[in-house]
Amino acid sequence: MATTAELSRVVNELGLNKQNKATLGRLVTHGNLGQAKEGPDGRMHAEVRIPPDELTWDPSIIVMPHGGDLDLVLVNDDDNTHCAILPSNGDLKFIWLPNHSRGTATLNLDGPGYYWFSSGIGNDEGRGLVGVIAVMGEVPPEARLDRPPQPRP
Amino acid sequence: MPQVDAGQAIDLGSLSSLIGSAPPVVQGVTYERILRARSEPQNWLTYYGAYDGQRYSPLDQINTQNVRRLVPAWVFQCGTTGIVAGPSTYAFEATPIVVDGVMYVTGWDSWVWALDARTGQQLWRYKQAVPFDTSLCCGNVNRGVAVARGKVFFVTLNAHVVALDAVTGKRVWDKPYGDVRAGESATLAPLVVKDMVVVGSSGGEFGVRGHIDAFDLETGRHIWRTYTVPKPGEPGSETWPDGPAWTRGGANTWITGTYDPELNLMYWGTGNPSPDFDGDVRPGNNLYTDSVVAIDADTGRIRWHYQYTPHDVWDYDSVMENILFDLDGRKLLGHFDKNGYFFVLDRTNGQLVRVAPFVDRITWGEIDPSGKITRKVEPRQEGEPVHFWPGPAGAKEWTHAAYSPRTELFYVPVQDLGATVTLQRREFKESIPYWGASVVVDSQDTQGFVRAVDPRTGQVVWSWRNETPMCASVLATGGDLVFAGEPTGEFNAFNARTGELLWQFQTGCGHHGSPMTYSVMGKQYIAVPTGWGGWTEGFAPEMFGAPRGAALFVFALPD
Repeated sequence: MATTAELSRVVNELGLNKQNKATLGRLVTHGNLGQAKEGPDGRMHAEVRIPPDELTWDPSIIVMPHGGDLDLVLVNDDDNTHCAILPSNGDLKFIWLPNHSRGTATLNLDGPGYYWFSSGIGNDEGRGLVGVIAVMGEVPPEARLDRPPQPRP
Repeated sequence: MPQVDAGQAIDLGSLSSLIGSAPPVVQGVTYERILRARSEPQNWLTYYGAYDGQRYSPLDQINTQNVRRLVPAWVFQCGTTGIVAGPSTYAFEATPIVVDGVMYVTGWDSWVWALDARTGQQLWRYKQAVPFDTSLCCGNVNRGVAVARGKVFFVTLNAHVVALDAVTGKRVWDKPYGDVRAGESATLAPLVVKDMVVVGSSGGEFGVRGHIDAFDLETGRHIWRTYTVPKPGEPGSETWPDGPAWTRGGANTWITGTYDPELNLMYWGTGNPSPDFDGDVRPGNNLYTDSVVAIDADTGRIRWHYQYTPHDVWDYDSVMENILFDLDGRKLLGHFDKNGYFFVLDRTNGQLVRVAPFVDRITWGEIDPSGKITRKVEPRQEGEPVHFWPGPAGAKEWTHAAYSPRTELFYVPVQDLGATVTLQRREFKESIPYWGASVVVDSQDTQGFVRAVDPRTGQVVWSWRNETPMCASVLATGGDLVFAGEPTGEFNAFNARTGELLWQFQTGCGHHGSPMTYSVMGKQYIAVPTGWGGWTEGFAPEMFGAPRGAALFVFALPD
């Protein structure tokens, strides 16, 4: 996981700071960044925490190297109750995160692009408990246009 | 401190009143039933109600004599949760499908719902996760589902076609067919023809290459793809210059086609060329932009085409419906184009039968009765503003006209507003808007109409004027009624023969979708999605700040 000091460098290195580089658009949220680890079965794994009194997800940017299934561990280290509303094909996923709790979510996301997640109670979202799952990569070859390579921004 | 076990995340919909399953009514929906869709008027089995695109229902329980008694039966609402693509532009544009008492309808951001069509009770829901940075020219919208053989088909904003189990709402198959990195997306309702699900693509404002794709409805296997901009050496390629212009040529098919089973031809409208306003980078007619292409349903091969606006520099997409009708023994199609003209073609061969204006102000050019075009106002000099009517949203946008075989009249929503366009050339980069101009649409001196047009003459038979452009689809019924919603929220019923306004209901939010009708247990209902959004700054900029609600209203006569 990148530290705060390294954040800009890693964001730039991954191409998340420009339109249609590593993902489709420009990064819209900041916080720490974590990269999901891919297991031998192709499933990806990541963990996200809510630190005490910071009203932020740590990391607030979870990077998946490609579309697929993500097993996500969610930890609330805060002294207040939060929740998580998470994107996944089929329906949004929901989990209560009482003070000092730990839960899990299984998400299925297509790439590429930015998918949001948040704590959808009170104004947790406005205070900072909004995060992004950035799915990198390209669409499969059969979904691409039959044309020569084109310039990108 | 000890850690609490929060467990496993659950579906958010499980914390609602939805039932979780629907009756197996779609299992018996076959191609043969869709062919005869109008013979079961209690249902609305395909996007336009029938393959011919007429948006006409024979239901007549609600008619000119009793429509004044129409009242709301139920309302369905969803709203948004979290961050969505185009959070200020989402709109409720879908046409609901109804099968034997169950309604299937899509919302913005790739929602699909199954509802009890009599009560509005939510039966199941499906949500595809959509990147909020998906490239969109005009809003987070979707226009509906197709159904057949136990499945519900829809496209996602990030250009997948998905099949759901019609009983459970669970995903059966999912195929990506567009490149979101290149600026493609998808918004149309699929069309089931034979064993196939046929879909088109969006993205004409981002310099993509339009295409139509067919998939096996059982497995999702890709069957054919037809590009609507030819490669060098293919028929039509002579209408493009040497160089890369064809690779970014546009011609997207973002509205559902119609289908003539006797001719085995589908009729798909195509969108604007890219860049929209800078014609110098693409000299030539730019086939098959702004055209109707007649496509062999089995092979996807283009059998004929008719180009409504050659070498378009006004953003005059022709994606809107080509309505099939027979008159005096001829197989015809009728099409109201953005360019302000109503076209009648012989649908066996694409020959022009008649062309006539249907809006008051047309200054971009003139089309004479033979189809000859005289161009008058074009953005040619960089930095020099030009003003023309109709503006880029057209005299009629994608929202649909209707045709009543009872009155033998077409009914069309009309937008009468112009725009100022200033050519500003730019280089092409994937996923970045590629218009080639700055555009300011008039927000004053605008008006709208619902008009009845006689296809025998092209003449307007009656005209109902509105203070704002009319930007929602029209429905015609066997009760000799025409329904149309206004940007200011009113939902109107007109006498189909006279244009008299017979009934009106204020829904509280502007209309930019498509009403339909059905019946359950002998009771007729009229359904209309309301939800003001999409490219409002294009089709009604004076209403850009209007309320942005989103609800599906269903009306019926009192018991």
